[in-house]
Amino acid sequence: MENQALTIVEGLLFIVGDEGLTLTQCAAVLDVSESEAQLILEDLQRLYADDQRGIEVVDYGGVFKFVSKAAIHPYAQKLFANAKNTALSQSALETLAIIAYKQPITRVEIEEIRGVGCDMMLRKLQARGLIKEAGRSEAPGRPILFEVTEEFMDSFKLVSLNELPELPDYTESESEDLFE
Amino acid sequence: MSFTVAVDQFEGPLDLMLHLIKEKELDLFDLDIHVLTEQYLLYLNKMEEMHLEVCSEYLVELATLIEYKSKKLLRKQEAELNDAYEEDPKDRLVRRLLEYQQFKEISEQLKQLYLDRQRQLSKPISMESEEWIKSNENQPVEGSPYELAKAMTKCLRRMQLLRPIETKYTAKEISVEDRILQITARLADLPETFSFERLLEDCREIHETIVTFLAILDMAHTHQLFFTVDDAETIWFRKGS
Repeated sequence: MENQALTIVEGLLFIVGDEGLTLTQCAAVLDVSESEAQLILEDLQRLYADDQRGIEVVDYGGVFKFVSKAAIHPYAQKLFANAKNTALSQSALETLAIIAYKQPITRVEIEEIRGVGCDMMLRKLQARGLIKEAGRSEAPGRPILFEVTEEFMDSFKLVSLNELPELPDYTESESEDLFE
Repeated sequence: MSFTVAVDQFEGPLDLMLHLIKEKELDLFDLDIHVLTEQYLLYLNKMEEMHLEVCSEYLVELATLIEYKSKKLLRKQEAELNDAYEEDPKDRLVRRLLEYQQFKEISEQLKQLYLDRQRQLSKPISMESEEWIKSNENQPVEGSPYELAKAMTKCLRRMQLLRPIETKYTAKEISVEDRILQITARLADLPETFSFERLLEDCREIHETIVTFLAILDMAHTHQLFFTVDDAETIWFRKGS
């Protein structure tokens, strides 16, 4: 049964493509608990982690999907002379970083940290589906709050926000040293 | 002194200040605002000489720096009154610079993750199954009208029980059309699926409850909402197109 489940999940992942499969969906289809589904998916991930495979199973933002391995990319570039990556500008990255670590956050709060206006940037990021509005703050004027989306998790290879690299912590430690 | 750095190399005034601090080897924790202001001003002037438009954000921070300098000159007179209430502007600037530096550094790491992700490609969903998803979405009404009526009765009973003892009575009439507009406006803040009770949160009168019910009937009719009734006779809604 276990092996059969593995086969089924493999086939399903192939069908759903970049839409991916969530644990809940997987558990419902196989009629097993989510923790069992998790084990099956992890087994499949291990199977594909093998160096002999050109694709792998990833879990970004709780969505499992097949992707080609990074090691294949150089060859894809050779195959397609025009292979281009969509870049994110430094200011886009900074804005995203602030939102991801401080969400939900208002535009003014982001601007306070960056020292520059970011109205246009927020609109661009929203259009790219990397951030979304998340209700309104209770502050005067009830400004809109922003947070990152599943698309953001996918674009930055994150299973959850807990996986974000830790912020360099010199603010606390070194300023404490000052008072010694 | 030669300026070889272009202005668009900086993400903003804080970025420029961090650059100047590094270049002049200033100590961020014992910041010499005097030197920083001088360098900063020199830089902005150079930008103007090169006929580059100095963004207002840079000028705002310049004003802050100059304000700090002038306050320092006048320290004696006003110190007792103001300093107790305001965060020292220098501390505030250092705090902001440190915080900004944090995010500047972390965005480098995020950039690497982003680039790594770009090297992994995936396939779109199989065309046939995409069709299946679509045909699912076209089902307009999932529950039967009878189930809906039963659930509504139960909902009304629950309202009766929840009804707080109020002495004030205000006659407020609202049309179904207006209620539809109100609900449509609230949709954006509601999750993908929500219960009828959720829509009744702002209803105090039986009249409002009924108007809400009529409104959702209309919205289900125009496919703005899809509904279903579960075993516990709760009416659930899903947003439509």
